[in-house]
Amino acid sequence: MASSCSQALRHHVCKSSRLLRVHLQKSWTNRSFEGAVCVSSSFALNSAADQQPAVSSPEEIVIPKKKTWSKEAVLQALASTVKRDPTASDYRFQDDPYLTPKTSSEFKLFSLSQESGRNAAKYFINTYPKYFQKDYAQPHIPCLMPDTLEAQIEEVSEAALIERIGMRKVKAAVDLYDQLLQAGTSVSLDVTNQLLDLICFYGDHDPAQENVPEQRNEETEDVQDEPQAKKGRAAKASDLLKATWKEKNNAERIFALLSEPNKHSYSALIRGMVKYGAYSKAFSTYTDLLNSRLKADMHMFNALITAAPEVKEKYNEKWELIVDLLKQMAEQKVRPNLLTLNAVLKALRRCGTVGKSQAFPVISEMKALSIDLSLASYTHLLAIFYKPGAPIQGQTDILQEVMNEVSGKSFTPQDPDDAQFFITAMRICLDTKDMEQAYRVHELLGVGENWRLLGNDFQQNIYYARFFSLLCMMENIDVMLKWYRDLVPSVYYPSSNVMRDLLQALDTDNRLDLIPQIWKDIKQLGHANRQNLVEELLTLMAREKHNQEVQESFAECALDIKKIYDTGDRGKVLLNWTAGSLSDLISVLLAAHRRQDAWDMLKLFKTHNRVPSEELLNKFLMCVKEGGEVNQAVELVQISAGFCLPGTPKLIQRVQQEFELTEQQRKMLSDLEIQSFNSE
Amino acid sequence: MFPTCCRIPNSALSYSSVISSGEDMAGAAGGSNALFCKNMATSLVRKTKLLSMVSSQLNSAACFRNIHCTAACLKNRAARIRVAKGDKPVTYEQAYHPHHIGHRKGWLSQHTSNLQGEDGAAERVVEDVFIRRFMYGTFHGCLADEVVIKRRGNLLLICAVMIQKLLPSKFYFLIGYTEELLSHFYKCPVKIEMQTVEEKVVYKYL
Repeated sequence: MASSCSQALRHHVCKSSRLLRVHLQKSWTNRSFEGAVCVSSSFALNSAADQQPAVSSPEEIVIPKKKTWSKEAVLQALASTVKRDPTASDYRFQDDPYLTPKTSSEFKLFSLSQESGRNAAKYFINTYPKYFQKDYAQPHIPCLMPDTLEAQIEEVSEAALIERIGMRKVKAAVDLYDQLLQAGTSVSLDVTNQLLDLICFYGDHDPAQENVPEQRNEETEDVQDEPQAKKGRAAKASDLLKATWKEKNNAERIFALLSEPNKHSYSALIRGMVKYGAYSKAFSTYTDLLNSRLKADMHMFNALITAAPEVKEKYNEKWELIVDLLKQMAEQKVRPNLLTLNAVLKALRRCGTVGKSQAFPVISEMKALSIDLSLASYTHLLAIFYKPGAPIQGQTDILQEVMNEVSGKSFTPQDPDDAQFFITAMRICLDTKDMEQAYRVHELLGVGENWRLLGNDFQQNIYYARFFSLLCMMENIDVMLKWYRDLVPSVYYPSSNVMRDLLQALDTDNRLDLIPQIWKDIKQLGHANRQNLVEELLTLMAREKHNQEVQESFAECALDIKKIYDTGDRGKVLLNWTAGSLSDLISVLLAAHRRQDAWDMLKLFKTHNRVPSEELLNKFLMCVKEGGEVNQAVELVQISAGFCLPGTPKLIQRVQQEFELTEQQRKMLSDLEIQSFNSE
Repeated sequence: MFPTCCRIPNSALSYSSVISSGEDMAGAAGGSNALFCKNMATSLVRKTKLLSMVSSQLNSAACFRNIHCTAACLKNRAARIRVAKGDKPVTYEQAYHPHHIGHRKGWLSQHTSNLQGEDGAAERVVEDVFIRRFMYGTFHGCLADEVVIKRRGNLLLICAVMIQKLLPSKFYFLIGYTEELLSHFYKCPVKIEMQTVEEKVVYKYL
């Protein structure tokens, strides 16, 4: 303590002497010789003070700024120590084996049933709000109060119209507007513009109510560009929802009633037309706007650029129209934003080779206007250069460049097409067989908030299916299994195609001993009723000879598979036997020396009308010889003769030679021999 | 002498003492009124004191019975299943009696209102009763054991063990419904943690 005090004192002395020196230096030039003496004495003092240990160096001590932690800092630090648990299912579900979903259909069923329970509760809460009015929460939690679904203001006035617009009741608002006009009260332009916005946004329909359990719960009215695998289901849903711009709808009518539409009204109308597919009308409305010498705004231009590829046919014309629009935008001094860039890039996707040449210039111009690219821009860029189904011509560097730009950054959702990035990137990695970029894409998913941009469950499934197929193709089996154990089934439920890819990967790497484990997973995932998957499994098991314990496990697996083939409780047949699958199964059982089971299976040939192959019977005979069952050998020959197989004589000969037969058996065999000889 | 079910107010006591010494008052002349009154007062006070002493002794517990207005709390019979023939299956929770709480049983309802200086215990009890009845009715026939209610900060956690009587999708429907309804009712987040068993877990047969 004393030393620090003395140090502080020394510091103070240093400081003050420094200050003194500074002051003296300032007045140096004015001083005469006497001043110099003073200065030198102070210098002596200074040097004495300076001969201190190195701690009190001539620099200032910088006291660091006080760090302020947010309220959740401790919780965030604790959370960063915990990683995702690969053995647990999604956080939505209860942690119980009976209640965990095991297949992707169960996943969807359980999450949807939970949602519908919530909707049922919301229905009761909103129908009987008086029981839920008591407010215990301090501070007040508005989302836990019942919603007011009915409009409060009943009289015909502008305030009532504003209220209905706020509650998104399209039809009620339009009716009220008509009533107001009939009553003679004029409605202000602002309110009319709001009404136009409402109608154009919802396309003249009332938005689907969330809380009514009877209706379907898909409210997204955006059109998804990405072709979906389940075309049947998706096509039906989107047909129902994709409203089109009707000929004489309320928006146009109200617009026509306006005496002086301003640019907001035009903007609402054009954007509504483009959203609901009336593209040429949108352009004609735009020419009306220009004729009335009003200025357009940015949203209008964005909508028109989106509509441009729809109104022209050839690539050049499309591009010229877009350039024209951009020039007008510059003339009217409207500043483009990110959505403009994305609209241009999306339009360039439909412009073929023009798109490839113009994409980068557009991006550089936008960057000059300091617009940062979002994931949607990168998606469109990748889609321009990597068309699905087109042969790859050494363009892998674009993906690499994009990944270089994007790695390590955390993105926020700014455009609805941001959610397509990961799927598009993974599709390109799969097409170009680029494992390294695939790992980088997957790593990007773990950065910051990017996991939100993976999309809904369906898109997540597509992403992981592509990732897994790529892994099966490119990586060796250990790496593949590591990913498999990490992601399945906590994040992803593989489809049967992916399981087939996995089996092929096992085959390539000679790890067929893992087949019984994979079979267990296949059963759990609910793919045990896929004919081709099961048959492929059996073929792989029967193909080669392995060591004893592997054969044992194969035999167990084979018996398990047999159970699937047998008819279910109500006689419902899940799978049909084929000759190939039966023979494979029997060979597997024979290789594990399960003669009795194999013998029972042989009977099935007759019952299911299938013909066994020659080599199967030969194999069987060899096994029977090892066991020494003469009766079985003779029965085998009888079965073979029963099927009129061409190899029957050879079989008879073999039995005659290798076995010790009784008289009766010998006679039977010679009869059969004559019979088969005659039939040839 | 005194009636058994009510107390005698003090004013009546003093009046009765006046009555008992009534002859003196009737014959009092006007002249010596003041002196007479003073004598009267002191004798009255003495008699009142004597009377109240006697009545207070008679008021002691041995002689009085007050009116009961509530039902009797049969503390010897609450939450106990009595030993019977031996064919009644009983869970662990039911088998142990309330004096085993803290020793062999845990608590079914966990909150901090019973700590020193905390309030709201009564409200928590009412909420718990409602929640238990709600769970019993919503998951009718599925509850394998009592519902455990835990409060962590703002969160209300309902832990229940269910029998696998319904399909999992139906369970999830009811879970979503319960969570949403109770959250809106109590204005705090409500979560359900559920575990399922195949049948009710029997501890012993009583």
